[in-house]
Amino acid sequence: MSSRRLRPTVVASGLALSLLAACTRGAPPQPPVEAAAPAPDAAGRTASPAVVSDGPPRLFRNARIMTAAGDILERADLLVVGGRISAVGPGLAAPDGAVVVDATGKTITPGVIDTHSHLGVYAAPGLNGHSDGNEVSSPNTAYVRAEDAYWPQDPQIDRARAGGVTTAQILPGSANLIGGRSVTVRFLPDARSVADVKFPGAPYGLKMACGENPKRVYGDKSGPKTRMGNAAGYRDAFQKAKEYERTWSKYHKDHADWEKNKGKPAPAGKDGQPGKPPDEPQPPARDFGLETLGLVLKGEILVHNHCYRADEMSQMLDLAATYGFKIRSFHHAVEAYKIADRLAAAGTAASVWADWWGFKAEAFDGILENAALLHAAGGRAIIHSDSPTGIQRLNQEAAKAMHAGRRIGVKISDDDALRWFTANAAWALGIDHEVGTLEPGKRADVVVWSGDPFSVYTRAEQVYIDGEPVYLRGTLEPGTDFELGYNPGAAPPASVQPVPSTMSAAH
Amino acid sequence: MSHILLAALTLLAPAPARAAGATTLVTGGDLHVGDGTVIKNAAVLIRDGKFAGVGGPELAGSAGGDVTRIDAAGKVLTPGLIAADNQLGLVEIDLEGSTHDDARATDHPVRAAYDASRAFHAESSLIQVAAVGGVTTAAVAPAGGLLSGQVAWVDLVHGDHRGALARAGVALDGNLGHSWGGSRASALAKLHEVLTDAQVFRGRKDAYERAQTRPFAAHALDLQALQPALAGQMPLTLTADRASDILAALDLAKEYKLRLVVVGGAEAWKVAGELAAAKVPVVLQPSRNLPSSFDALGARLDSAALLAAAGVPVVIAWLDDSHNIRNITQEAGLAVANGLPWDRALRAITLEPALAYGQGATHGSVAAGKVANLVIWDGDPLELSSRPTQVFVRGRAIPMVSRQTLLRDRYRELDKFVGNKSSSSARPRPDTGTASTTAAPPQK
Repeated sequence: MSSRRLRPTVVASGLALSLLAACTRGAPPQPPVEAAAPAPDAAGRTASPAVVSDGPPRLFRNARIMTAAGDILERADLLVVGGRISAVGPGLAAPDGAVVVDATGKTITPGVIDTHSHLGVYAAPGLNGHSDGNEVSSPNTAYVRAEDAYWPQDPQIDRARAGGVTTAQILPGSANLIGGRSVTVRFLPDARSVADVKFPGAPYGLKMACGENPKRVYGDKSGPKTRMGNAAGYRDAFQKAKEYERTWSKYHKDHADWEKNKGKPAPAGKDGQPGKPPDEPQPPARDFGLETLGLVLKGEILVHNHCYRADEMSQMLDLAATYGFKIRSFHHAVEAYKIADRLAAAGTAASVWADWWGFKAEAFDGILENAALLHAAGGRAIIHSDSPTGIQRLNQEAAKAMHAGRRIGVKISDDDALRWFTANAAWALGIDHEVGTLEPGKRADVVVWSGDPFSVYTRAEQVYIDGEPVYLRGTLEPGTDFELGYNPGAAPPASVQPVPSTMSAAH
Repeated sequence: MSHILLAALTLLAPAPARAAGATTLVTGGDLHVGDGTVIKNAAVLIRDGKFAGVGGPELAGSAGGDVTRIDAAGKVLTPGLIAADNQLGLVEIDLEGSTHDDARATDHPVRAAYDASRAFHAESSLIQVAAVGGVTTAAVAPAGGLLSGQVAWVDLVHGDHRGALARAGVALDGNLGHSWGGSRASALAKLHEVLTDAQVFRGRKDAYERAQTRPFAAHALDLQALQPALAGQMPLTLTADRASDILAALDLAKEYKLRLVVVGGAEAWKVAGELAAAKVPVVLQPSRNLPSSFDALGARLDSAALLAAAGVPVVIAWLDDSHNIRNITQEAGLAVANGLPWDRALRAITLEPALAYGQGATHGSVAAGKVANLVIWDGDPLELSSRPTQVFVRGRAIPMVSRQTLLRDRYRELDKFVGNKSSSSARPRPDTGTASTTAAPPQK
């Protein structure tokens, strides 16, 4: 609870008018001054479009607001206009036509973002017919895409949304050295295809996997059988990608030359007669896998690397440097604490669990302070789930990791720990210019919690995407097709009993 | 356990520890006894590994001189937590078969005589990890088959090969549902057959020895191992999720007069009335709220609350891999967040598991005469911010270390490692295979 400064985060902008003018249906009069235009972020990316929802303005009143951008504001307001955050601060005025949400006693955070999920590709129930997460047909399936398997009716999505999750990266599994492209989705209800929920403008990710899984899956088949084989597989793939890129570069150059000389007379032949004009260069065969890897080399697809051990992560950083690409985030990374300095220096995030360990040899050295020690070293820590139950409580997982760190003296503010499942996750997915913090201009993906999000007793009560409610406990609880008709006559939810005051006073 | 051995262990321990023969007095703090009562400014007297007295300041005054006093003012005291139904000490690494001792490898579904206590490894790294998280006792269950074997009741005394086992054979463990024979009907039929055979076997052992009985559906040792369960001396802990399977288990228990405990119980809330009437406890993991199979379509977060409200004894357990049984506190907190009263949640990880496994006389609450398993917490034991500051197992203040804390301390500072020392700051780049080894020259 170290950094609670009371400072309104308000950006006044002349673009406020145009922002509001674009708000067609039920367009409200302009709010005072506190509207914001999306500002370019450090990478020069500008959030767009300015209006992402035609719903009414929404004013959340009198909440504890944790921005994940350094501020924790007590009894403050948050204004949403056109689906984007317009202002955050105390005493905001409600524009005409605004829906006012009384959030007294509640805590508001950015929507939870999970960098590692298989919801929709390993849907519940766990049926053979639902097993779409691992294309176990070759150790390199860079050509497949998670979005081609994503089932928006997976009932697990409902539970995740009820846990405050608004955005998740859906990854292929870890059977393959290179598993394919991930897709970043929003957990919007009432979706009928992946296209309805893809995060607008999010870059693709590439799933890679180190260690035991590929060699276990392919050891008795074509290989790899060892970590040697794993590394050879990565080298082979990226070498081929470089050559593929060269082939295309040459084609583009040849074609440009050909275009340039098209109208000119061809040089005379040996017999002095006009020569035959050169044929138009034909493009090389397109290879979707190599194209994906080529986009990784260009930095347009972000690498998400399942990798547990410190030595292996170090090797992967070296390999990536050799081939000229960046690893955006290691995933699982139970030994991140052993190379926290190197991860920080490389600018590579680590998506970790709070406390998973021991389920396989490469996970044997897991410790509770993993995220905290990475944070202490200046690295970018992220709490991820890789679990349909864990995704429902990323706030609690972060709490465990935060407290473990504080107990050994690592300075971690509540805002820092909040960033582990919001802002840092958004960065890893390349969408931090749009979501991850409660700052003016960002999409209004917002969770209203019953209390401190780091308490075991707290539940998400309201969840908003682009300022529109997608979950309201007790009144808007979207259900999937699958569960219709099951559990007839189910009991209503149990009512919650207060925790004894002796307990809440005990800490 | 001999006192000599204990003394030797004490010497080996990396932190000061009191032998079980010593007397310890813990004073101050709110004691949650485990049965729902709370003693403020409590005093807990520990002698010879047992609770010798539990009370208030008056007890503290009468304790005498030769006592190790531990100040727990401002802290929260609870009984040692009990982790039901796990493979602690039977499995070191889940995906490494060579570290597994949790099941008899056989196609035969009846393994009633398989005794988990014979395989338990007191030096397992999981034990300390669990113990410093507040878990002092585990019901270690075998896995696999229709009847998996005998559950061991273990106190988490790390490294004590002779002493960690408190009692072997406290329950018979099994699985119902789509677990054997291609159909739940086959599984039930096999259970009926084996239980009937065990009844016949009981009266005709001599005839069996003379080979004058019909063939039985299981080995004599397995039939013999079923006798305590049939006599009501040990419970049958059956994993079952679907409501219809739980009802089938209730019918089976009624027919054979078994003491049933349901494990898993995803849909137990649907038959809560019948479970309550039969006084059958349910061991469940509150976070399991997903329709992960067609047996668990009714899974929900508030199962514990619904069951408790109906009068069903609720045990909260971590039923996923045993490495994180310490998370029963979070699971209990999650049950509270979804309607279970707080005191019932604490009871669900202390006294209720002791009662469910028939060990309430020695475990589960802080009461004179019981085994002195005690945890001092720095706050609400169910809250994510809290940790034990000291754990007592069998009256002994255990070293608050684990393989995990040792790893943490080794890597707390990274300056000492190769590549960070000033003399070797230029780390040679490993040969990862350069990208330009092919004939074609690099393009711009």
